[in-house]
Amino acid sequence: MNALLPPDLLRRLEQLQLLAARRAKSSLKGERRSRARGLSVEFADHRNYVLGDDLRYLDWNLFGRLDKLFLKLYEEERELPLRIFLDCSESMNFGSPSKFDFARRVAAAVGYVALCGFDRVSIQCFPEPGATLQPPEAAARGALRSVRGKTSSLTFFKSLSQLTAGGAADFNASVKRGAMEARQTGAALVLSDFLDPAGYEAGLTALIGRGFQVTAIQILAPEELDPTTFGDLRLVDSESGAETEVTFGKYRMSAYRQSVANYLERLREYCTGRGIRFATVASSTDLGELLLKQLRTAEVWA
Amino acid sequence: MSFLSPIAFLFAIALPVVVVFYLLKRKRVVRLVPSTVLWQRFLAENQASAPFQKLRRNWLLLLQLLLLLLVVLALARPYFSGTTGEATLQVVILDASASMQATDESPSRFERARKEALTLVDGLKTGMGDGNQQMLLMVAGAAAEVKQSATSEKSALRRALLAAEVTDAPTRLAEALRVAETLTRDKPGAEIHLFSDGAGVDLTEFETKDLRLVYHPVGIRSSNLGIVSLDVKLNPEDPSRRAVFVNVANFSAESAETTLELLFDGQVIESKSVSVAATNSTPVVFAAAQPRNGIFSVRLNSKDDLAADNQASIVSRLPEPIRVLLISRGNRFLERAVAASGPNVEVSTATDLGAATQHADVVILDDVLPQTMPSGNVLAIHVGTTNWFPEGIGSLEAPPVVDWKNTHPLLRFVSLDNVQVASTLAVKTPTWAVSLVDSPSAPLVLAGEFGRQRIVWIGFDTLQSTWPLRISFPIFVANAMEWLNPATARSDLFQIRAGDAFRMPLGEASGHPVEATVTVPSGVVWKLPLGPDAREIVFGETSRQGVYRVNYGTNQVEFCANLLDATESNIAPRRELSLGRHGTVGAARVQRANLEYWRWFALGGLGILMFEWWWFHRRTA
Repeated sequence: MNALLPPDLLRRLEQLQLLAARRAKSSLKGERRSRARGLSVEFADHRNYVLGDDLRYLDWNLFGRLDKLFLKLYEEERELPLRIFLDCSESMNFGSPSKFDFARRVAAAVGYVALCGFDRVSIQCFPEPGATLQPPEAAARGALRSVRGKTSSLTFFKSLSQLTAGGAADFNASVKRGAMEARQTGAALVLSDFLDPAGYEAGLTALIGRGFQVTAIQILAPEELDPTTFGDLRLVDSESGAETEVTFGKYRMSAYRQSVANYLERLREYCTGRGIRFATVASSTDLGELLLKQLRTAEVWA
Repeated sequence: MSFLSPIAFLFAIALPVVVVFYLLKRKRVVRLVPSTVLWQRFLAENQASAPFQKLRRNWLLLLQLLLLLLVVLALARPYFSGTTGEATLQVVILDASASMQATDESPSRFERARKEALTLVDGLKTGMGDGNQQMLLMVAGAAAEVKQSATSEKSALRRALLAAEVTDAPTRLAEALRVAETLTRDKPGAEIHLFSDGAGVDLTEFETKDLRLVYHPVGIRSSNLGIVSLDVKLNPEDPSRRAVFVNVANFSAESAETTLELLFDGQVIESKSVSVAATNSTPVVFAAAQPRNGIFSVRLNSKDDLAADNQASIVSRLPEPIRVLLISRGNRFLERAVAASGPNVEVSTATDLGAATQHADVVILDDVLPQTMPSGNVLAIHVGTTNWFPEGIGSLEAPPVVDWKNTHPLLRFVSLDNVQVASTLAVKTPTWAVSLVDSPSAPLVLAGEFGRQRIVWIGFDTLQSTWPLRISFPIFVANAMEWLNPATARSDLFQIRAGDAFRMPLGEASGHPVEATVTVPSGVVWKLPLGPDAREIVFGETSRQGVYRVNYGTNQVEFCANLLDATESNIAPRRELSLGRHGTVGAARVQRANLEYWRWFALGGLGILMFEWWWFHRRTA
């Protein structure tokens, strides 16, 4: 059916539902409870009839007892817009399987769950190279801007698989802009390696400040966690081209691991301190394991 | 540990160079990584860019550094310095006397001393600059010889040392030390290293000298039985036989029993068992018939440490009559004494010197001054001739007898206790003679060799003294007849100490041979060319004891070289040499040489090199 997610995983994903921490604020109809009063089966409140109200919503039983006109209000069910920030920078190309592949499979899975729940999914890829993009990919990116309905899942998957990663990203700027652009806030999923030299704090803060319910999944290549190259190295940053000279040997492995662990710990602390659900995975992790266990534990969905 | 050429440590500059090579070698591998963020954090936390991280476990580099270090150390020539290592000139005296043949050290004292001298040579600083040391090698054997003049070249010194040979001669250390003392005088950094057992060393003359002497003693024990004297005389009891007097001394701390064999021309003719108490000597007398002129040898059958003194030989000639011409105005005491002096003495008396002197072996001038002096040996009584005493002759009234040399053969058994002299000729002791009897201001009796003439001179008229009345007078005359007998002089000629030169005058009868050959005891034959005017045969290669045969023309003579030296046979090792009464030279420290170790370092370096090679190939294989 598609290369991103195996069918049995899709079947299991269909049973899941994204958990929303607060009521949806979207203006479009959906299956999420919202603060808006409107049409649904769920009774919410009464209010006095005022001239011009639709007579269909009058509570006739109450009129019979009290001889006053009240209008029955129902909770309006709105959608939960899911915004996925997918890091498409050059650094995501590394790892086996590549971090980008892993990231878009996660995006596909989460997006599929959202689609099944009649939520709107929009994927924002960054960086945005603009005119240099190839037409099919540009079209795919455009198509991913807004996807709704389970029936769209096939095109959703297809578009996702057409994406490629490349170029240098500015995480903070991209995420901030995405947060500003969003007309309705909802859930936000950030899929990145969070290895931007400028840091990640500004972007995440912007999302929080806009009112997004943020889930951050950090995807790292296995090599980044446990380097396999030793000796006298001149390391070239794939995005910025900056060079770093390192003399590295097995005897320094534990020190390196400690450095990585420190970095991850700081990120985790930052996220949990701001109510961001956070998970770190290696790109070699089993997808089912991540989706069905780790994200459940992280209460991304249930 | 010190270093002979510390300048070689400049090579240690190569050590950092190796490290620099290892660092320069670091061609970094360029890797494209997703992000250097993690790495920069890692570096910031660990300072991993420090270049020496790489060196931390680099065994090859460590091996190379170690190898280089060893090579530099070897080049610097480390040594452990002894107490004597600083002298700029070291005079090494190697004792090659007979006692150094003792086998109490293995294989012998001489070899041991040679070995120690070689280590001293090894320790010689021969670097550049101030540390340069020179060594001079002397061997004190039969003669004190400088075997190697002062040099820094170790190979030359080793060669000279290995060429040195031990002799049967008594010690000539005093002579060697005298030379060494002049060599080291006025040289503040000079030292004399004496390798010796100390046997027979008399250093009294150096008591007041500034002798920087380092004594390296050898020798462990004193287990030796030796023949210390040998003589052949007429047998006083049986004139037809000869009496061989042997003195056997025991220098060990235990009494010893052995057998003493007497040989005549190589044939054993008698054997006696001898028992000698510890540190004592025992005289042994053999009475043997002698059919012809020949050589008596005695041999000790004892196994002791020193073999050189276990045999001795002596040339013995059949007694010949001595013709004595007594020129006197009448002296019955003298006539009687001369007539009684021996069985072979033929006395003729005359009042003046005539033609008869030509046939006389000994001429006695009793208060007579002849016109021409006789050419034979002379006993001169109260004869003042300016031939003999160029410094003038005076006279002295009633000189008391104060001293006499009873060790001289002329005064054997002679005591001059109560001899009074009325007047005497006063002379100064000339160079050719020694004074036998002394008064406070002038010698009374002189003896010596004037030219080839043996002369006994009595300064006073015996008739003007009480001497003829004493028992010592006839004994003295008999001794004088024996000593003046040309045969005695000749037999002395044929009896030398090992190491002394053999000199034999060539008489008219021997013709004019052009060449003499000498067969030494080891069988080697030396040829001595003789010039047309040669008056005597001189042969110096007598460092080994035994019987030497000399052939010249149609004649053959034999002479014997013997050790016969009690001080030399006393091989007790001396840990200390005494310089006179007050000064002593103790044994040097055990650590007496600068021992060089560069060979070991070089060997270690080679081992490291091979190990590194193996390691390197193991790693890349």
